[in-house]
Amino acid sequence: MPKITIDGQTIEVAEGTTILKAAGQAGIDIPHLCYHPAFPPEGSCRLCLVEIEGAPKLELACATVVREGMVVKTQSEKVKEARRSVLEFLLAEHPLDCPICDKAGECQLQDYYELYGLFESRYRETKEKKEKLVRLGRHLLLDRERCIQCTRCVRFLLEITRTGELGVFERGIKSIIGFYEGEPVDNNYSGNLAEICPVGAITDLDFRFKTRRWLLDSRPSLCPLCSRNCAINIEFHRGLARIELGQRVFRIRSRENPQVNQYWICDLGRYSYRYLDENRIDRPYQLVNGRRMNLSWEKLFILLSEKIRALRIRKKTSRIVLVLNSALTNEELFLMRRLFLEELAVSRFIFCDPPEEKGDSFLLTAERVPNRRGAEKIGFDVKSREEVLREDKIDLLLIFAAHLPEKMPLNWLSPLASQIGAKFLFASQESKLSQLVDFVAPVTPVAEKAGSFINVDGLMQSFEAALNPWGESRPEWEILVNLAREIPVNYRYFGRFNSPRAIREAMAEEKLIMSERP
Amino acid sequence: MNEKVLSRQFDLPHLHKIDVYLENGGYEAVRKALRLRPEEIVEEVKKASLRGRGGAGFPAGIKWSFVPRVDKPKYLCVNADEGEPGTFKDRYIMSHNPHLLIEGIIITSYAVGIHLAFIYIRGEYEKIAQRLEKAIEEARNKGFLGRNILGTGFDLEVVVHRGAGAYICGEETALLESLEGKRGHPRLKPPFPASVGLFQMPTVINNVETVANVPLIILNGADWFLSLGQPKDGGTRLFSVSGMVERPGVYELPVGTPLRKIIFDYAGGVKNGRKLKAVIPGGMSAPILLPEEIDVPMDCESVMKRGSMLGSAAIIVIDETVPIIEVLSKVTKFYSHESCGQCTPCRIGTSWIHKIVKRMASGQGRKDDLKEIERLASQIKGRTLCPLGDAAALPILAIVNKFRAELEAMLPQ
Repeated sequence: MPKITIDGQTIEVAEGTTILKAAGQAGIDIPHLCYHPAFPPEGSCRLCLVEIEGAPKLELACATVVREGMVVKTQSEKVKEARRSVLEFLLAEHPLDCPICDKAGECQLQDYYELYGLFESRYRETKEKKEKLVRLGRHLLLDRERCIQCTRCVRFLLEITRTGELGVFERGIKSIIGFYEGEPVDNNYSGNLAEICPVGAITDLDFRFKTRRWLLDSRPSLCPLCSRNCAINIEFHRGLARIELGQRVFRIRSRENPQVNQYWICDLGRYSYRYLDENRIDRPYQLVNGRRMNLSWEKLFILLSEKIRALRIRKKTSRIVLVLNSALTNEELFLMRRLFLEELAVSRFIFCDPPEEKGDSFLLTAERVPNRRGAEKIGFDVKSREEVLREDKIDLLLIFAAHLPEKMPLNWLSPLASQIGAKFLFASQESKLSQLVDFVAPVTPVAEKAGSFINVDGLMQSFEAALNPWGESRPEWEILVNLAREIPVNYRYFGRFNSPRAIREAMAEEKLIMSERP
Repeated sequence: MNEKVLSRQFDLPHLHKIDVYLENGGYEAVRKALRLRPEEIVEEVKKASLRGRGGAGFPAGIKWSFVPRVDKPKYLCVNADEGEPGTFKDRYIMSHNPHLLIEGIIITSYAVGIHLAFIYIRGEYEKIAQRLEKAIEEARNKGFLGRNILGTGFDLEVVVHRGAGAYICGEETALLESLEGKRGHPRLKPPFPASVGLFQMPTVINNVETVANVPLIILNGADWFLSLGQPKDGGTRLFSVSGMVERPGVYELPVGTPLRKIIFDYAGGVKNGRKLKAVIPGGMSAPILLPEEIDVPMDCESVMKRGSMLGSAAIIVIDETVPIIEVLSKVTKFYSHESCGQCTPCRIGTSWIHKIVKRMASGQGRKDDLKEIERLASQIKGRTLCPLGDAAALPILAIVNKFRAELEAMLPQ
């Protein structure tokens, strides 16, 4: 392992490490624009030039591999001057329209100017005029004046999606990013281009002019829209004093996870965030002859537990049917099993997962639920077994629909509805289903709760809540714990579960949990 | 010495036809070379101090010896892009004596273990490309190319590839990209083409004139070749002389012939007896020389010591009637137009400088324009991905430096 000295700090790094990465390990930031860790070094922006003792010229930090005894300076006058010079060149031909640019606040060019530039412009010539509104694809716009020719977008499409829609056209100062006529960017990963563009050249139509970056908070979560469980950041508005915003979540961005999605997410995961704010159920309610009557959660627990208690005393819990789905977390599925299947001896359950759709060969899987592996591991048969519906009378139907009430295959419910005693729906979205049941209670979607999933490759990942619960929504695990207390069922066991983490610990004790690495 | 070596037979009618070429001793070098061991050829070329004729002047034999002796495909790319302004010597070789180049290609390929060679020729040389293709066909028919050449078991195919008209494609790694069917953008080095080149395979890239010299070295020996030129820079060079001289043209002269002698003795001196103002000694990328600086032997090291470079040995003569701003403007226009646009300093720097120069030329100069040009050029120099940045910055700096008074006179005081 070569030992090198960077800015007086001696560190040992793995063979083959570049100066840029070695500096990163030492906590030293070397500015760069064209370099992206997902691709081989490009070396074209020239911003990462550093001084190596004994070398006649400044060398690229992104492309130069460390050698034993190398002495690197990233803060010498020569380096600082070279950085200023690259920034000066880039800004000379830049429109400087930051006030109306969506990237402002997270623009690397802007940030680096603040950190390493801070010069007065000496450019007195006419800037190049280029197109500022090129539609690159369904979700993307290109501003050619803002483009700095880092070619990250071109390389992403060549190396990651291998669709190669974009290329560099023209030459020199006239160079532009473009595509062949009639063949714009059209793949399920296009949204990543706006994310990897270090400046505001490629912007996202979905986000365009909606808000400003610095008004948004960003919290980590997992994408629940297929069984890949990509790491994401959910970005939401903190809200404004006195003005109520119609929207909390403004965008989903990818979060680096080398084991699952590297740096990318698919467009389905990126652009389907509206369910988090739209059509949400605010509070529990009862439907009496089609009329809505709000309930408190306490009242709902009392009503539900009374029904369960009554069936339990008559030893008729076989007349309870559970409708489950694989969007529930491991912790929730574990509690479902303990509470209903084991304590209450409910044997009739049916998984109503949305039907599979076409996956692609990269991240998106055919399963449009996040946790089928978890459900199987916890011991559920996730195949839809509609025959359980006909085994006996149904006195109590509990539908756990999460964020999927529109997508679950529940066609069987409508003809059966009138024959079922009491029907409870736990879902985060309003849907036609709400009209078919007697009680509706709001649950938190994945973004608003903690838990864990096992993805399509068997990798378990835990996550925390990124957003506060909508209205009175509660996570399913909390509902189950409350129910156990209310019925009551073995409250010594269920009573200690004050968090998904506590449930995970119990699962571990019972050898039902999997480590976070497969 | 006034004896031509490389171009000795170029005046023979129909030399480009293989029968004429064979009647005049053609392909004897190939016959001789294929009886030698490849290492012997590399050693001989090394000993001859054959330096690259394209511009960088890198010793060819040493370049060849960088190619690893590994069992994977290796390629030869003959750089016939000839884009350096002022240079017109490679076309002279290819149009007059394509078989000499093919002979050189066969010997080079045999020496390095190559079975597929490309001639990357600039798109404008359409007729010459056709002539090369015809010559390759002739050579194949005579058994000098193809399978089992002259019964030695050595195989070689040669493919002519026409460029699409970008100066940058003469830069060796951009040439490789272009040859691979991609946009002609230079690659990061290392790795160097000798280890990772065309289609990721070890590749030798040599200029036309370099390769064309190889048969002469094989026939006459390294000592002979070395004796023609300088101790570290053997042979002759084809000097392309253009501009304000009485007899512009290609002159084959020994390496080390003084620049003054080439201009005044061979090219007939400055046109119409006018006064010499400046000389660009090695193609547009070479820093300009003043009349008092032209007593320089034209070999790589001597010209470099004079603060310029021999480059492609293209001599551009400028007389007293030419305003220096016109020269500067030609230089800056060329480089801003030909910058490939890949890296920041070259893409924006060359254009920025050209915009200033254009403004100056139109009488809109500002007081600090020269200082700005110098500052910007030094921000390009040594900071770009490929040598084009230096090729642009150095001549600009030299012109501003050496003709400061004339340029300053254009600016407001």
